[in-house]
Amino acid sequence: MTDLNPFEALGLPADPGLGDEQVRAAWRAIAAATHPDRGDGGDLARYTAASAAYAELRTAWGRSEAYADLTERASQTDGPITAPIPVILGAVLLPSASPWQPLLTLAQVPARIIRGRPLHLLLRAVIAAVLALVILQLIPGTAAAPADITGVLTWFVLTGHRNLAPRPER
Amino acid sequence: MSIWSLIKITIFLWLIRKTAKLMAWLLLAAIAVAAWPVTLVMAAGYAAAWLRGWPAVRLRRAAAWALPAAVAWAAAEAALLRAIRPVALAPVQNWDNGWQHLTTVDVARTFALVAPVAVPAGLFLASLAWAWRIYAITTGLGGYTASAPIIFDARQWRRQVRTARGLTEAPGAVPLLARGARIPVGGTIRAVGHRWHPVFTLPASALGRHMVVVGATGCGKTNLMIRLWAGWFTAAMDTARTGRGKRPLLIVLDCKGGPDARVKAARTRRLLYGAGARRVAIWPDEAQLCLWDLPPHDLAVLLYQMIDSGTGAAAYYADVMQAVLILAVTAPTGPPVNTAGFLDRLEAGWLTRAWGGGRYPGQLDRVKAAGRHLPDIQLRFATLLARLGPALDGPGTLADADAWYFILEGTSERSVAEAQAMAITELAAHAAASRSAEPRSILLAADDYSAVSGRVPLSNLYERGRSLGMGVQVSAQSWQGLGLNDDERHRITATADGGIFVMTTPYPEPLAALAGTRRVLETAHKLVGNAWGDEGTTREQRAWTADPDIIRRLDVGQACYIHHGAATFVQVARPKPSPLTLLPPVAVTEPVAWVPEPRHEAEPATWPEAAGSLDDIFGPGGTR
Repeated sequence: MTDLNPFEALGLPADPGLGDEQVRAAWRAIAAATHPDRGDGGDLARYTAASAAYAELRTAWGRSEAYADLTERASQTDGPITAPIPVILGAVLLPSASPWQPLLTLAQVPARIIRGRPLHLLLRAVIAAVLALVILQLIPGTAAAPADITGVLTWFVLTGHRNLAPRPER
Repeated sequence: MSIWSLIKITIFLWLIRKTAKLMAWLLLAAIAVAAWPVTLVMAAGYAAAWLRGWPAVRLRRAAAWALPAAVAWAAAEAALLRAIRPVALAPVQNWDNGWQHLTTVDVARTFALVAPVAVPAGLFLASLAWAWRIYAITTGLGGYTASAPIIFDARQWRRQVRTARGLTEAPGAVPLLARGARIPVGGTIRAVGHRWHPVFTLPASALGRHMVVVGATGCGKTNLMIRLWAGWFTAAMDTARTGRGKRPLLIVLDCKGGPDARVKAARTRRLLYGAGARRVAIWPDEAQLCLWDLPPHDLAVLLYQMIDSGTGAAAYYADVMQAVLILAVTAPTGPPVNTAGFLDRLEAGWLTRAWGGGRYPGQLDRVKAAGRHLPDIQLRFATLLARLGPALDGPGTLADADAWYFILEGTSERSVAEAQAMAITELAAHAAASRSAEPRSILLAADDYSAVSGRVPLSNLYERGRSLGMGVQVSAQSWQGLGLNDDERHRITATADGGIFVMTTPYPEPLAALAGTRRVLETAHKLVGNAWGDEGTTREQRAWTADPDIIRRLDVGQACYIHHGAATFVQVARPKPSPLTLLPPVAVTEPVAWVPEPRHEAEPATWPEAAGSLDDIFGPGGTR
């Protein structure tokens, strides 16, 4: 049951932006065609699936949850096992207190960038780089230049980490 | 004194007051212009706080983070000038030079030169100005209209929500577990009494105690609970890996059941696998438990409680049933190993053989006395156990998995779900108290427990968990769903030392009252016509810490966390497993769903007939 795509059951595209009326219309059409009280006996299995799907998709919140579930499921392998693992350093679990943990954390950064929001991060990096260049152009050789660049780097690190994917098992 | 003199003095005093005020503003403006880099940063910081609904502390922290740049600048300057005094005067020198050529490039250059000092100073001043603005508006000292505090608060709430939502969408802002074993819940909208952080986090230990979640259907309660479970599980796994704690065991009772429960179970499982779990069992669809593993006495009590026994005249029958259950379960051959074996025992012949042989005359008398009721009792238990299904007939123990997700059909089959909930709670209690099993850190989470609370009130579950050292998390759709009466509801909420999450619900007052009130200032202005006059009074008042009206109007996914007389409003982030989880795919050597092996009930051994009277062996007893 968990593998059923409720959008598919109602013949709708998987889109969280669908309206209440669209979902209701799809449900009514399927219900009319498959209801077990029909003269031809209907299609109980399809009717049941459509009923369950309608119950799930009838609110905007339900649609967004169902869509999020589908998206999550799409990124997983079949079965309950964790998604395919990107081949990165440290494929063996280390205890958190391991002395190698900081190195492992550092080694994971490229994968975290790729799996996070790389474009947002790139934009921040570009802003930081442009500011640093402007500073170096405006006040070369002064004591304020490295200080300003330190400030820019602090801003980049503090705000940029949000665009990284979480660490493994986090 | 003539009236004319009085008017003149009044006008004179008014002019003095206005002139002093004007001079003060002019002086402030002069300082602002003179220290324009600081003013610029201050204005930017103030505007950012206003637009994003930040509290003043956010600006103070930004100022603190800007200090490393100032330190770097001081160090570099000291290295260049080799003296302290010129270092201190360097920004003044740079600022002074900046006034000589007011071109765009020179303005930018001057700003860049003094930025290491101007940024922290400007942000700190902005925090003071913003704090003053908030104070002035909320106490009624500021604003031009009487509705200013209301409008200000509503606007700031909208902006705070927008900022919190933006934060929760960033992939790395709200992971499942943060530093210091804290569970991030989502972006902070507003903190009243709690320390403000952009991301609201809970210590994992809060889930090791008791927690209550209340929210209407469709308010995002599931997301919140799954996030808390996954966060707790991740923290406990971390602790166990470092040898500082026990392995976690998460037990979730989804008491409503239905297709939604399966979706939730699948989501929870994906997330827990991502958090490092090796086996997450979903009951009854994919895994089974063995009720018959309980200690005999506990099993007898449980079986008795699972059947409706009634009151009044029915009490007699209940006593007979209890006696029969004890005889059947505590028979000398050991407890039953499965349903079929148990039902076999509810026959006169089996019980007579089991307790026969002359060694248990008392029990044998009871078997004889209950003989005519045995078929009825057997029929009732056969019906109950058939309705419960094979999922409690084993094999399987709670220790077999890292997490169990129990789906109880509390909506469609309430009485069955109630009996199942009792059995599972008993098994969880046994797992927590068992000395032979590996000690585990247990969190028992009951979602919509009110759907199955007919036999075991929520307060009992709560107190049981507390006595066994388990963390218990319960959720209900409303205040009324927490118990049958106010006494029970208060007992549950007042002991929720892990905190209370309230999401949108039509009657939040009793829960909001737990956060208490705070002291606020209220200013009353004297009106002159339609405008505020110069006079007024300020008095201290009490206001809700967790405003019930705000709680009532919370949007989907927003929650109010009440703990320790303070409240934090939070935008809950949807929990997602990290895409980088390092666990290699588990080699599935054993299926997650166990197929029960046939188990055979041992027939009671027939006692050897005594060769003669016992007196032949032990000698004659004394006369009484």
